Amino acid sequence: MIFALTDTQENLWWTAIIAGFVVVLAVAALLTILVLLVRTIDRRVVEIKATLTQAEANTADAALLDTTAAGVDLVLAEGLEHHLFLGRVLGKVRS
Amino acid sequence: MNTLIVLTVVDIVLLIAGLAIYLWIVGTQLTRVATNLEECNQLVQAVGRNAADIEGNLEHINRTGGVVAGALPLLYGMAESIVVGATYDPSKVAARGPALPASGRRRSRLHEGVGYLPDGPVESAHAPRADRAESA
Repeated sequence: MIFALTDTQENLWWTAIIAGFVVVLAVAALLTILVLLVRTIDRRVVEIKATLTQAEANTADAALLDTTAAGVDLVLAEGLEHHLFLGRVLGKVRS
Repeated sequence: MNTLIVLTVVDIVLLIAGLAIYLWIVGTQLTRVATNLEECNQLVQAVGRNAADIEGNLEHINRTGGVVAGALPLLYGMAESIVVGATYDPSKVAARGPALPASGRRRSRLHEGVGYLPDGPVESAHAPRADRAESA
């Protein structure tokens, strides 16, 4: 059984094959662009990760602010003691 | 005819293979991106936890520091007043003359010490009690 193609059918087939190759090239170009963009995203995400790592390290000592607050309270209490002492001494000096 | 069939097959194979390769590459990259984003998410949560205590503690420190800063001038004033009150000021001291003996010529007690009492025992001479008893 032999299939015979007319010239029109053969031309259409060739056109379809050429169009197929064009589509393959277009798909390759678009996917190349996609890969490049995803690579850029990957690089930026790595940079963001490094920045966040530094930020996490910088804020890791924020818990020491609680200790600092307690120390400032001690300074205030000591200042009140000084106030009382100076008040007593000032009263004796004036009298 | 055969050429057309082969080219058609090649066309389809290239399309499928190209799509497969590119999708595999993109899939690998997106997997890596997803992993990094997951770690970024954990880091952001850690930063949020660390920064949660900053605001309250800073408000506490600022409030207490403000009280201390406001009280320091009062302490300075009190200390200066103490220094002024305790510093020696010669102009406020009354002028006094030279130091003089409390009495005139002191009486010698050498004779009394050896028991010689030409005027008899005197009460103010602090003579021994035995002498006063004998004189009485």
